[in-house]
Amino acid sequence: MDIMKNILLGFTLLFSSLLLANPVETGHAKASLITNLQNSEQESFYVGVRLEMQDGWHTYWENPGDSGSPFEAKWSTDPGVIVENVQWPTPVTIPYPPLMTYGYEGDVVFPFQIFRSQETNLTAISVDFDFLICADICIPETASLSLDLTSASPDTFLDSQIEDLPTKLITTKSSVEDNNLVVSFKTNKPFANAYMFPRQDNYFTYSETQKLEEVSDGSYKIFIPLIDADPESFSGILSLDGEGFQVEEALSSAGGMSLWQAILFALIGGLILNLMPCVFPVISLKVLSFVSMGGDDHTKIRNHALAFVGGVMSTFLSIAAALMIIRSSGAMIGWGYQLQSPVVVGILTLIMLGIGLILLTNINIASGLTTLGNDVQSRNDYSGSFFTGVLAVVVASPCTAPFMGAAVGYALLQPSFATLPIFISLGLGFAGPYLILAVKPEWISALPKPGAWMETLKQFFAFPMIATALWLMWVFMVQTSGDALIQLLILGLCLGAAIWMIATFVGRWKWIGLAGTVLLSMQIFNNLPSPAELQIDANATSWSTTIESDLQANNQAYLINFTAAWCITCQTNDKAALARPRVKEFLTDQNIQYIEADWTNRNEDIAMGLAKYNRTGIPLYIFWKPGMIESKILPAVLTEDLLIRNMQ
Amino acid sequence: MRKVLNLSMLLMMSSSLMSAEIILQNPDVDEQAPSFSGINSYGKQINLSDFIGQPVILEWTNHECPYVAKHYSENNMQNVQKRAQDEGFVWLSIISSTPGDQGHVDKATANALTKSRNAHPTHVLLDESGEIGMKYGAKTTPHMYMINSSGVLKYKGAIDDVGRGMKFFSASLKDAVNYVATQLDDVKNNKSLTNSSTVAYGCSVKYNYD
Repeated sequence: MDIMKNILLGFTLLFSSLLLANPVETGHAKASLITNLQNSEQESFYVGVRLEMQDGWHTYWENPGDSGSPFEAKWSTDPGVIVENVQWPTPVTIPYPPLMTYGYEGDVVFPFQIFRSQETNLTAISVDFDFLICADICIPETASLSLDLTSASPDTFLDSQIEDLPTKLITTKSSVEDNNLVVSFKTNKPFANAYMFPRQDNYFTYSETQKLEEVSDGSYKIFIPLIDADPESFSGILSLDGEGFQVEEALSSAGGMSLWQAILFALIGGLILNLMPCVFPVISLKVLSFVSMGGDDHTKIRNHALAFVGGVMSTFLSIAAALMIIRSSGAMIGWGYQLQSPVVVGILTLIMLGIGLILLTNINIASGLTTLGNDVQSRNDYSGSFFTGVLAVVVASPCTAPFMGAAVGYALLQPSFATLPIFISLGLGFAGPYLILAVKPEWISALPKPGAWMETLKQFFAFPMIATALWLMWVFMVQTSGDALIQLLILGLCLGAAIWMIATFVGRWKWIGLAGTVLLSMQIFNNLPSPAELQIDANATSWSTTIESDLQANNQAYLINFTAAWCITCQTNDKAALARPRVKEFLTDQNIQYIEADWTNRNEDIAMGLAKYNRTGIPLYIFWKPGMIESKILPAVLTEDLLIRNMQ
Repeated sequence: MRKVLNLSMLLMMSSSLMSAEIILQNPDVDEQAPSFSGINSYGKQINLSDFIGQPVILEWTNHECPYVAKHYSENNMQNVQKRAQDEGFVWLSIISSTPGDQGHVDKATANALTKSRNAHPTHVLLDESGEIGMKYGAKTTPHMYMINSSGVLKYKGAIDDVGRGMKFFSASLKDAVNYVATQLDDVKNNKSLTNSSTVAYGCSVKYNYD
C-alpha cells in the first residue's frame, strides 16, 4: 500500500510541471486555486486560494495573536501580470486559554487581485502556498497550485467571498484610557457581538475580554486591553457579528505635538487672535479707552487692564469647561462648534449689530458693553473693562488664528488635565498685551495723545462690526432659510429702535418704548425655527465616511474640502483658490474628484473624519492620487499657486 | 438593542469568570523575575533562588512543535545553549505541556531527548500544571527569558528575529539575529539591552485548560 502511495507520489511529482495541480490535499486541508476571470480581455480580476480545512483545524490571520503564523504565498506569473497583496477576510477569534489566536476555520478563501495590461498574455498562474494549520498542535503544510487561466471557469464562490471582504472603512476615534485602547465608533445596524482585531502585533493583551459600551444610541466604545506601551497608530478589522470593517487611525497621543508645544502654540495663537477681523474693532476700542487714560494715574490703568484680563481669562475658562462637559457626554466637538447652532449665530449677529449701532450713536448704556471708547463717567467702573474682556472673547469665537487650530485640536483630544493649560495659555496669549500694560502702566504714554480723532475712529469701527454682522447673517441664512433671516433682521430692527430710544428719550417714554420693543422681539423670537428643523441641501460630490477608501480602491485621485459657511478662512480659501478657473481646470485635466464636506451644521461623521487627521477644526484640505501611500494634508491657507503646486 | 447588549456583556463577563483561574501574567523587564520552584527530569526540586549569583536563561520548549523541531534539527538551539553555558549561564528548559497534550514527556523521555538531540540544558523542568509558564506569561514554544545574576528579568521574547510568518520554515537560522546569543554579555555585565522585549513566535504553549 505504502509502495503504491509512493509510486503515485512520484508520478505526481514527475508530472507536476506538466499537469496543473489543482486541487491539492495538503494533509489537513484541501487547497485549490479559483478565479472570477470572465473573459481574456479583463485587465483586473481575482484569484483566490481556497482552503477547505478539516474539522477542528484552523489557520491564521495576518496578526495571528499569541501564537501561530500567517501564510506565505509565492506567485509565478506571466511577465506583465501583477499579483497584489492578499485581501484578508474578516478573521474569527480562536481562543486557546489562556492564549488567544486570530484566524479562520472551515472553508476560507484568500483573494488576491490581479492586474495586467491588455498586451500581456494570460496563460497560467501558480503559487507555492505555505501555511500553518493547527488544531491543538500545529503543522506547517504546503500547496503548490496552478490554474490555467485560458480555460478556468469563473467561480461564484470566490465572488461571494470577495463580497464579504472587510473593505468598508468605519470611522473611529481612539484614545488610551486606563491601559485600554478605547475605540469609539458609530453604526445604525444592531449587532450582538463586537470584536476588534488589531493589526499591530505587540501592543495588546489578546486574551483579555474586550469590553463593549453603548455610549448613546448608535454610538459605541470598545475597550482593547493594552500590554503597557501605547501604540502610535492603530489599524485592524472591527467585526460586528462577523461583518468586518477596516479601522485605520493615527492616534492623537502621537499626533506629533507635545503638551508644551501645544501650550506654546496656544500662546502665539491667542496673541495673533487680537488681529483677526472679528476681534480687531473691539480690541481697538479697548486700546482707545486706554489711550484716553493716558494722563491718569497708573493704579487705575493697571486695574482696568487687570479687569480686562480677568474677563478674558474667565471666559476662556468657561469655554474650556463647557467643551469638556460636552465632550464627556460623548459628542464630537471642535473650535467653531458653537457656530453650528443658528441660535448662537443669531445672538452673535445681534451683538455685533448692537455694538456697531452703539459706536455710531455716542450713547452709554449702563450695561457690560459700556467701556467702549473714551467714556469718562465709567472710568472707575472696572466691571466695564471686565465685560469688554468677555465680549472680546465672545466676538473672537467665530475666528481661528494661525497656530491656534492645531493647539485647540490637540487640547480637545487630550484628557482634562491637558485641556485646561492649553486654554489658559490661549487666554494669556489673547490678553498678553494688556497683561503687559498691567505690569508696566507707564508704557501707555507711548500711545498717541487723546483727542477728537478718537471719536471719529470709534465711529469708523462701527463698520467692521456691521460687516461681521452681515457675514454672520449670511451664515445664519445658509443654516436656516430666507424666512428665518428676515425674522432675525426684524429683531435687528427692534434692537436698533431700542438703542435709538435709549439714546434719545428721557424718563417715562424711554421705558414705555423699550418695553414695547422687548415684547415685540420676544414674539418674533418665539417663532424662530428650532435647529432640529434645519437642513441644508447637499450639493456636488458630498463627503461620506467611506469615500476615501472607496476612491483609493478605484485609483481615483481626490481633493476633499472640509468647510462650513461660518468658517471665514474656508470661505476666503474658496474664493482665493478653489473657485478660481485655473484650479477648476487643473482638477478637470488631472481627473481629480472634488469633494466637499460641509460642517456648517453639526455632523458627527465629519467630526470623526477630522479626528482621523488629528483635527477638531477646519479648514482642512486632503489630497490623494494613485501612487501615494497616504493622503496628504494641504496648507490651511491656500492660494491658487500653492494649491496647484501641492497637487502636482 | 440594549437588552441584547446587556446579555452579551453578561455572557462575556461570565466567560471571563470561568477562565479566571487561568491567568497569564506579564512580568516587566528590569524588575525582579518571578520566583518559582519546579521538578526537574531527575525528580529533584529546583528553585530559581538556587541560582542567585548566576545569570539564568529560561527556554519554553515542546519537542513536537515544528518551530522547536527546526531550531533543534539545525543545531541552532544547542549552539546557543553551549555558548550560554560557556559564559556561565544556567539554562533551564521548561516544558509546560499538560499530560496528554503535544510535547508532554515523562522524565525518562525528557532525558532521552536531551541525549539524542545533544542538548545542553542545566536542567529540564516538567511544568505539567503550567504554573511557571503562566507566571512568566510564556505564550509560545520557543519563548525565551534572560535573568541576570541578581535575579532581575532582562529579556523576554523570541529566540531570534526570523519571527512569525511561514518564511521561518525556509529561512536559515544561522543568518538570523539571535536575541539570546547576542545579548549574553550585556545580561552578564548588567548593561541595558538593545532589545529587551520582543514578540515571541511559535506554537502555543499547550496549557491545561479543559
